[in-house]
Amino acid sequence: MTDTTIDNTTNTITNSDGLAELVTQCAASKTPIVDYGVAHTGLGFPPPDEHIQLAYRPDLNTTAGGVIEHYDRDMTVRAHAGATMRELRDALKTTRQFLPIDADDDLTLGEVVTHNVYGPMRVAYGSVRDLLLGLHYIDGQGRDIHVGGRTVKNVAGYDVTRFMVGSLGEFGLVHEATIRTYAIPEQATLIDLKLDDPGLFDRVLSQWMLTDAAPAALSMSNEPERWTAHLIYLGRSSACAVQRRSLETLIDQTEGVHLIGSTDGTFDRAQDELSARRVWRRGATTLVKLMVPPALTGAACGEIQTWGESNAPVTIEAMPAHGCIFTGGELSPHGARKLGDLANHICRAHFGQFAWHARPPVIPEAPKIAPFGPLQPDWPMMWRLKKAMDPKRLFNPGRFITTRSHPKENDANN
Amino acid sequence: MASAHPAIAELATVVGPDNILADPDELLVYECDGFPIAKGQPTAVVFPTTTEQVSQVIRTLVKHDLQIVPRGSGTGLAGGAVVYDGGVLVTTSRMTQIEKIDLPNRYAVVQAGVRNFALTEALAGSGYHYSPDPSSQRASTIGGNCSTNAGGINTLKHGVTTNHILGLEFVLPDGTIMHTRAGGVCDGVGPDLPALLCGSEGTFALITRIWCRIVPQPAHFRTFYAVYDSTFDACKTVTDVIAAGILPTSMEMMDGGMIEAVEAAFHFGFPTTAQALLLLEIDGIDQVLDQQMKEIVAIAESNHAKDIMSCSDPKKRAELWQARKKAFGAVGRISHSYCTQDACVPRSKLPEVMAEVGKLGDKFGLRITNVFHAGDGNIHPIMLFDEDDPQQVQNVLRLSEEVLEYCIEVGGTITGEHGVGVEKLHLMDKMFNPQTLDTFDRIKRAFDPKRRINDAKLIPSDKLHVELLTPVTNQPGGAVVTQV
Ligand SMILES: Cc1cc2nc3c(=O)[nH]c(=O)nc-3n(C[C@H](O)[C@H](O)[C@H](O)COP(=O)(O)OP(=O)(O)OC[C@H]3O[C@@H](n4cnc5c(N)ncnc54)[C@H](O)[C@@H]3O)c2cc1C
Repeated sequence: MTDTTIDNTTNTITNSDGLAELVTQCAASKTPIVDYGVAHTGLGFPPPDEHIQLAYRPDLNTTAGGVIEHYDRDMTVRAHAGATMRELRDALKTTRQFLPIDADDDLTLGEVVTHNVYGPMRVAYGSVRDLLLGLHYIDGQGRDIHVGGRTVKNVAGYDVTRFMVGSLGEFGLVHEATIRTYAIPEQATLIDLKLDDPGLFDRVLSQWMLTDAAPAALSMSNEPERWTAHLIYLGRSSACAVQRRSLETLIDQTEGVHLIGSTDGTFDRAQDELSARRVWRRGATTLVKLMVPPALTGAACGEIQTWGESNAPVTIEAMPAHGCIFTGGELSPHGARKLGDLANHICRAHFGQFAWHARPPVIPEAPKIAPFGPLQPDWPMMWRLKKAMDPKRLFNPGRFITTRSHPKENDANN
Repeated sequence: MASAHPAIAELATVVGPDNILADPDELLVYECDGFPIAKGQPTAVVFPTTTEQVSQVIRTLVKHDLQIVPRGSGTGLAGGAVVYDGGVLVTTSRMTQIEKIDLPNRYAVVQAGVRNFALTEALAGSGYHYSPDPSSQRASTIGGNCSTNAGGINTLKHGVTTNHILGLEFVLPDGTIMHTRAGGVCDGVGPDLPALLCGSEGTFALITRIWCRIVPQPAHFRTFYAVYDSTFDACKTVTDVIAAGILPTSMEMMDGGMIEAVEAAFHFGFPTTAQALLLLEIDGIDQVLDQQMKEIVAIAESNHAKDIMSCSDPKKRAELWQARKKAFGAVGRISHSYCTQDACVPRSKLPEVMAEVGKLGDKFGLRITNVFHAGDGNIHPIMLFDEDDPQQVQNVLRLSEEVLEYCIEVGGTITGEHGVGVEKLHLMDKMFNPQTLDTFDRIKRAFDPKRRINDAKLIPSDKLHVELLTPVTNQPGGAVVTQV
């Protein structure tokens, strides 16, 4: 449960013309259009009371799994933004290709782009901004805007394509994306390590990344009673074997890290494993994401763990190569507030950022839990860009970019 | 100081008298960048050394209503750093501090004028490097690379500049200093502003400081080249390698003319009778590289590669890549003037695109030679011409236009890495629909409502119109500049 309530009346639209028409109508009636996605409904300020709830679902009878064109020999795919990751995964599999994005099966490609969804595989493949080549979206005037293209390099015009990554749906309704694909790796080797303390990677990762043991995916979590690191090697079986041996050597040379288990399997197996590890997030009533400099991930995880031990138990899942931490669980409103204070404190100390993904209902007498913090320095520019691209403030208005007075609101955790 | 513009004395007080040029003789070298067809003389060139100075310089230029044109090293190939309309070049080449290298967090902070290669030199021995490697990396600045979103030789596998930028500090055209999320964090909340600034060609703001991602330098690689009797076969090899799902670090191509020029300049031992040469590198786990190389070699052989040479000696490898990176310079041996074109096409279309480019060269009676980032589908036809012959200048421009229009037709783009500048402005409406162009214009105005910075570059302006295609007076390479 979150303090964001979304209207139940959902407008399902199946094509870009429908989207353009909706925008034109909403512009005329000054009705905001809301699309917070399925896994991100708690992210950002809640939508205005009066709004139209949008669901963009292409007609999959006319497109194979949401794929508009698969340029398989170019390793790129043009797809409907309304196609789900599962549909795309199945469609691409026929040519032994995949989209290297760790995202839940039911998320649409559009949601993945606008919420900058990534996971442990970012180590090897980058994030959406590294994979995305082009976008089509409907702007605030109901116009179909085409940015980027299908080539792997392109500097014609402004890079609105990547600007849209993480834009929380505030700048337009994305209806189509062209994105890089990769060949499905022959093998996945999954390795779990027990860590005596979560700070191990803060100390060693920069060195480990220079060796054959550098993983394709890396995460760690505070499983009951112990910190566990999850590494995945992807590629030919001979390469995975070399990498595992290199890791074993490093483990022998490093204090405080122990091999728990290692399995060779298919890439599908690795994807299933990755999605199983993030299942808890979808059920958590309190969930906050912190972004800190990578070499402070473990220290931050340690602080959160210590806090959890004396306050409320929390799950912690971190990606040490990118300084990304998800934490939360079943917390009381009071506990959530305190966790928010901690996230704010950590991020301030380390020039980090935090964003709530799920907040329990606020306590009436307490101040609201601010959805983001600390205030980003480029805030005034975002405001100007919102005005330029969505002058009538139709798209998810106030979710991230509110009014001029927003900066103070945004920084309510100060 | 010959010029009497009142701004000059004020600018000199901001940056110091040694950091400003205003004598017409001294300004001559600043009348163009690496695109020799576009020329214009600045009122002055200023060399600030700090962000605060940049801000004050910009405020001074605003006061005097002078256009602000950012410049790094001036190696750009689209006329983006050319001053029209009597503006002032604000050059970052004296902002050369590498302010921080943070290996545990894998980033560096540099001033915009730091040369690309200087950062990699500073990282030598650490096992890390700054990955984007344009061939101009010894001269071009990281600020310039960001502004053009420069690519390079190993960007096929490791990404272009934008993939390696964490944050930016910039000065808006009203003098306000601003920065995006920065420090070591890999991302934040909300839209990706650094990405929008990357590739904006100095039309939004002047970038002053950059937070660069640094990454492990590949430790193991195989470098090899394949020689062909036809460019078609070489291109087909590229297409087939990509289609097989193999991602080499680099896959670069030279045609016969270029092989001759490079061989004459560097004596590497390339067969000068060959019609095409494909230069490849793969990196990764040492034990599997030989197998991967075998697979690529098999693809090359199935496309009639005549000779395949591998290069295991690190010194020889370095020389090989130097030869590739200096290939543009070698063109000077075969032609006094040349113009490097830049477009990007889907990799699967490379064979037909290269054939068409050759035909178009014949149509305009111009010799074309090619050296390019084949693995990315990023072509660089180099047109050889005589700068003093106005007709040839026109032919170069018209040939460029037809090549680019063809590339759009096959699903490509008018520029893969060099940018639009003034050179490709007239093609923007062929590439984008009017709504998209209007969006670009709105975004430009969000940064620069009064069009004070690098106006009439990248997107058309309603104040200034630069026309390169119309022959001008008796000065080849001039342009008609009209106030709208
Ligand atoms: C021999 C040669 C080889 C090349 N090889 C490559 C290559 O492999 N890949 C590639 O992508 N390019 C290549 N280029 C093109 C060129 O080097 C790049 O575009 C480079 O990024 C330009 O950097 P610069 O510092 O010289 O910028 P400049 O040429 O000075 O400026 C380029 C553009 O960026 C703007 N600009 C510069 N600095 C700033 C700043 N601090 N803030 C805001 N705007 C700014 C300018 O206004 C201009 O529009 C090559 C050029 C040459 C001559």
